[in-house]
Amino acid sequence: MALAGGFVGVTAAAASSPSTEVSGETYIIGTDTTFAPFEYREDGELTGIDMDLVRDIAASQGFTVEIQSLGFDAALQALQSNQVDGVIAGMSITDERELIFDFSDPYFDSGVQMAVAEANTEITAYADLAGETVVAKRGSEGETFANSIKDEYGFTVKALADSATMYDDVKAGNSVAVFDDYPVLAYGINQNNGLKSVTEKEQGSSYGFAVNKGQNPELLAAFNAGLAELEASGAYQDILDTYLDAPAASSDTSFFGLLSDSAPALMKGLGLTLLATALSILIALVLGVLFGFFTVSESRILRGIATTYVSIFRGTPLLVQAFFFYFGLPQLTGQPIDVLAAGVLTLSLNAGAYMTEIVRGGIQSVDAGQTEAGRSLGLGYVTTMRRVVLPQAVKIMTPSFINQFVMTLKDTSLLAVIGFAELTYQGQQIYAANFRTGETLLIVAAIYFIVINLLTMLSNKLDKRFNK
Amino acid sequence: MSASASSKISVRGLRKSFGSNEVLKGLDVEIAEGEVVCVIGPSGSGKSTFLRCLNKLDDITAGTVVVDGFDLTDKTVNLNEVRQHIGMVFQHFNLFPHMSVLQNIMLAPVELKRGSKADARATALTLLDRVGLSDKADARPAQLSGGQKQRVAIARSLAVNPDIMLFDEATSALDPEMVGEVLQVIRDLAAEGMTMVVVTHEMGFAREVADRVIFMADGLVVEEGTPAELFGNPQHQRTQDFLSKVL
Ligand SMILES: Nc1ncnc2c1ncn2[C@@H]1O[C@H](COP(=O)(O)OP(=O)(O)OP(=O)(O)O)[C@@H](O)[C@H]1O
Ligand SMILES: [Mg+2]
Repeated sequence: MALAGGFVGVTAAAASSPSTEVSGETYIIGTDTTFAPFEYREDGELTGIDMDLVRDIAASQGFTVEIQSLGFDAALQALQSNQVDGVIAGMSITDERELIFDFSDPYFDSGVQMAVAEANTEITAYADLAGETVVAKRGSEGETFANSIKDEYGFTVKALADSATMYDDVKAGNSVAVFDDYPVLAYGINQNNGLKSVTEKEQGSSYGFAVNKGQNPELLAAFNAGLAELEASGAYQDILDTYLDAPAASSDTSFFGLLSDSAPALMKGLGLTLLATALSILIALVLGVLFGFFTVSESRILRGIATTYVSIFRGTPLLVQAFFFYFGLPQLTGQPIDVLAAGVLTLSLNAGAYMTEIVRGGIQSVDAGQTEAGRSLGLGYVTTMRRVVLPQAVKIMTPSFINQFVMTLKDTSLLAVIGFAELTYQGQQIYAANFRTGETLLIVAAIYFIVINLLTMLSNKLDKRFNK
Repeated sequence: MSASASSKISVRGLRKSFGSNEVLKGLDVEIAEGEVVCVIGPSGSGKSTFLRCLNKLDDITAGTVVVDGFDLTDKTVNLNEVRQHIGMVFQHFNLFPHMSVLQNIMLAPVELKRGSKADARATALTLLDRVGLSDKADARPAQLSGGQKQRVAIARSLAVNPDIMLFDEATSALDPEMVGEVLQVIRDLAAEGMTMVVVTHEMGFAREVADRVIFMADGLVVEEGTPAELFGNPQHQRTQDFLSKVL
């Protein structure tokens, strides 16, 4: 699924080195959102061991990578549906995964380690965990390891989706310990995440770069070749040292420091939030007016179409719709879909269903006598609608429109789960790297609050002005 | 256009059902040009439905209705054109609340491209003068009394210059002291020779202005005649019962 496909296959046989096959190509690489030190954001830029590795390998082999930070599960789903060409996400090479993906040579030997809250002096070994709850990352090595010893030591394992949440869970005392990959844990502890490690790391699995089974073999070969080159030149070790030996926690730790550090990324996210909202609401308006007219039409077929549309989109969760349009639709059609397009498609179809009901309600709330008066004067259906019914209906509908606008703006935050880099997603990225969850979420919530209230005030002003 | 040449409105065997409920059970009514016909009868007898079949605001289930030479049951007839020949005034006025009085009256002539906007405005002002409301041209309907609203509604109907006017209980939503001003406007129209069908419960008014009175009950015309005949010497028991209650 290389973007510049074409006759790659033809030249492949003649090529002597893998680098000629991939040179000039652009590959989309999926990754996790929150797996420091392998991938995380610093000042809005994706960085980490995986990022440095894949970028350096791409540079040495002459291809280009476009990184999509999707989250671990989402990245794997995207790889299976060929939404991305490869995934590098601190992913362990396992037998199960080798059934569906092709892996590169291992590029990192990991291992699970246990950590507890800094102040905790009671838990120093697995034996102290009896009767307690521990937390691990869903689908990770840590979870597998914890589950493998939980019966022996008598504890319960809870699974969460990302590292920052897990660490907060331990600090809050909901779990006594966390099992996570040692480099991740080591990085977090160096960032003063409030934890400490208390056991040695377990012998663990190795991380590999993956492509979909049987797809992009030239990309895999190029990765292996590039990795070997970096290892030989010492550049590989330099990358590891940068992140594991000397992680500098140099940034401003005050609230205002956080505010100014995070502002550029959050503003970028806000821009995307507003863009997705504006596009979605415009399309939803068109859909709502169209299907709204269907619902009040005399044709049973048109009414049926509109009713079906509304009940489908009101009768299913928005999150399921988002997953469907981003992951499901490409599998069904074979056509990859851009994350903004999938997001706008989801939100506009969803909001369109609510708009349809608003339009129907608005038209029906205008007294039937108004239509009769118009028609009895000899005015046609369209003229009567346009001059008599709609001006009154719009006035009734406007507050509901404004309400839907606000709802859609808030709903954009759900698109974070498909990796759309809007405001909530940017917030998640920030606390995944700095572990300051509470403060970051406060800032994010405040931005939503201010923007929504400003837009509501503006809308109400316009409503008063035009709907006297 | 089979109806007799002298009839302005010719109704033959008109039936109307709402679902399985038959509301009009075969009406035959002929109305001549310039005639003023008042329709009376108990509530639910089908008076409004009859009136609404004359401009096809309600669909006709069976029978024929020929108005001003147009057969309304003919699917090829342009209803929008026919309706411009027939004005209708409703019990609850149905003025357009988002428009001024003048805009209410000008809407149809302007939308139907009857001459220039200036012409429409001049006509509207003349009509307002005729119903005694020149000073209310820029008012909104909400600022008017019931009687004033109904007079504006009549002016609005007249603005497309109809040959026939239909009134459905035009005064029954009004306070008693306002009934007179509206009846006066209808009386003036009668005097000018307008063909009119007036559904009313104002028996005194019917007696005074009607050329003919039709008494309806249970979806049928029970009895019709001049006011003197119908009010002075009703033939049917049902007519007598009804009149004894309302007079
Ligand atoms: N749109 C409708 N759908 C179903 N039934 C209707 C409809 N309009 C009228 N009817 C029924 O038809 C019958 C005649 O109604 P109509 O309004 O013509 O009576 P009316 O003589 O005008 O009565 P009133 O003096 O109370 O105005 C009533 O039983 C009424 O319930
Ligand atoms: Mg009635």
